[in-house]
Amino acid sequence: MSPSLFCKLTTVCSGESLQESSCVRPKKYVLDPEYSTQLVPCLHGEQRTRVEPKSSELEKVISSLQDMGFDEAHVNSLLSMQPTVHPQQLLDIISEFLLLGLHPEPVFMAMKKSPQLLKLSTVQMKKRSSYLRKLGLGEGKLKSLLHGCPEVFTMRQRDIESVVKVLKEKCLFTVQQITELLHRCPAVFQEDPSKLEYKFQYAYFRMGIKQRDIVRSDFLQYSVTKIKQRHMYLERLGRYQTPDKKGQTQIPNPLLKDILRVSEDEFLARTACSSAEEFEVFKKLLEREEEESESHVSEEEEEDEEEEEL
Amino acid sequence: MAAPVVRGVRKLLKLVDFTPVPRRHRYKKKWATTEPEFPASRLALQNFDMTYSVQFGDLWPSIRVSLLSEQKYSALVNNFDAWDNVSAKLEHLGAKDFVKEAISPQELEPESDLSPPPSLNYSPNLRCFTFPRGDISRFPPARLGSLGLMDYYLMDAASLLPVLALGLQPGDTVLDLCAAPGGKTLALLQTGCCRNLAANDLSTSRTGRLQKVLHSYVPQDIREGNQVRVTSWDGRRWGELEGDTYDRVLVDVPCTTDRHSLHEEENNIFQRSRKKERQMLPMLQVQLLAAGLLATKPGGHVVYSTCSLSHLQNEYVVQGAIELLANQYSVKVQVEDLSHFRKLFMDTFSFFPSCQVGELVIPNLMANFGPMYFCKMHRLP
Repeated sequence: MSPSLFCKLTTVCSGESLQESSCVRPKKYVLDPEYSTQLVPCLHGEQRTRVEPKSSELEKVISSLQDMGFDEAHVNSLLSMQPTVHPQQLLDIISEFLLLGLHPEPVFMAMKKSPQLLKLSTVQMKKRSSYLRKLGLGEGKLKSLLHGCPEVFTMRQRDIESVVKVLKEKCLFTVQQITELLHRCPAVFQEDPSKLEYKFQYAYFRMGIKQRDIVRSDFLQYSVTKIKQRHMYLERLGRYQTPDKKGQTQIPNPLLKDILRVSEDEFLARTACSSAEEFEVFKKLLEREEEESESHVSEEEEEDEEEEEL
Repeated sequence: MAAPVVRGVRKLLKLVDFTPVPRRHRYKKKWATTEPEFPASRLALQNFDMTYSVQFGDLWPSIRVSLLSEQKYSALVNNFDAWDNVSAKLEHLGAKDFVKEAISPQELEPESDLSPPPSLNYSPNLRCFTFPRGDISRFPPARLGSLGLMDYYLMDAASLLPVLALGLQPGDTVLDLCAAPGGKTLALLQTGCCRNLAANDLSTSRTGRLQKVLHSYVPQDIREGNQVRVTSWDGRRWGELEGDTYDRVLVDVPCTTDRHSLHEEENNIFQRSRKKERQMLPMLQVQLLAAGLLATKPGGHVVYSTCSLSHLQNEYVVQGAIELLANQYSVKVQVEDLSHFRKLFMDTFSFFPSCQVGELVIPNLMANFGPMYFCKMHRLP
């Protein structure tokens, strides 16, 4: 709406009938272009916020945002998060997110948590959404992905692809398993692919856990340190055995959730049946063992390289 | 980033024997005449899981995790070389002399009742440093001291207990029947009480190691005089060789060396080829202890020790040897109660509460020493 029309509107208001106005007035507020700074009363009329109407485009954006359901405070917050981003682009990207089926509040929270989302172009955004849909992460899942791991939308395509590739080709997860994995532990997207593979191999070979249980127990979200500490403690206590080639053990292994999902206190009390002070010492000893075997292996590798050169 | 992963996989696969083998090379049970060898250390662990879970019940898991984790060492100060400097250096590192700590409170607060029981005679002059409970610091390797001898000897602190319990007194003639590789022998010499020390081990290669230890720690005049004699004879013959000779005898027998057997493959006694030898161990141990008792002067003392957790190598052997001596030689031997001794060292070591005779240090992550079984006997006059 151009300022001139507004002028016409207000002059008309002063006494004459309003029937001649042809522009649609936004329901929630009134813009008075005569003043350089304007007060925009909100719905409840309690808060007053300042808006600098540099252009009518900005006004349009603000009004659209408010139409979408963002309140004044959120609108101003959004506009100041990424000053380099053009308001129209901002509006476009937010619209895209709303199209995923999210409500304004969660969208606002996501933007606040990761303001770089506002820098995405709609093209990038659409491409990423469609890639994620192809992975089986449909509408409802995209919502939780945005909530749990907004970086999924801003990451580089090739980084996501390398993670998916490892899951498919090295870990041999099925497509459905990959979907479920990414839905339940979106942080997996951000892991270094080789570390992810190592974690998988630890579960598969060292602990004898198959893909199905790896997915169901959210195994891949735990740190390697935590996994190794708890597993090796149980193993050395004699409370966990790697299944043999037939998948059998002589003792019933504790459930994965009782190993990884529980707090340390509960782990010690119920699964390990051991004391906190012993576990603390064990963790320190394990750390040292790992450090020393790392340096030992790299020494071996150096020797191998030297041999090869000869 | 392939290298770390491949390396990681190799390590993991090694651990679980999943190394991919071409189909034609895979073990085919119906055609094989011999079984594929599990590593002996794994056989040892299987054996321990079977016997010790029964013997120790709920205590077994905490012992097991300690045996499989890095053991804790102590530093035995070499009294023959600037021991006060060395003690100061070790204290500076944050370690404490556990012998001093155990003994001094006892001396400072004398009991109102009569003199302490005989078993509280502990061998003197032993200074041995450890880091506090739960502290996993390591000692730096021993170095040459100012007098050209090594400053301290790194050993499992529990190994000192049999020597302490033996209760040497100045001027004693001492026999160490199975002396190699020499840690306890060295400790015996550190007491300064040995008028004569006879150190023996059947294996000549192991006596060689013993000689090296003595060379590095003990002054030449003590080594080369009449004071120390090293031999490689069969310990079982000592009753005939030197019967009724010694004031104090230490019989630290060959055993299944439980901790060692879980980590070292070489010469592991749990190899299938050594099964017969392992099964004969208790009998050998009884014979050695009997010989040690016969070599003791009437009125003298013997300490029997092993580094195994097994009842069959510990209490059963003590009881068997005492019976043998009573029946075949009419020699009366009495076991000495070491419970007061045990109480002295309770803060440093974890003891098994239910030994029928003798005491057993069990490994625990807070104090990862042992296993060490020891039992003190008195040959009645």
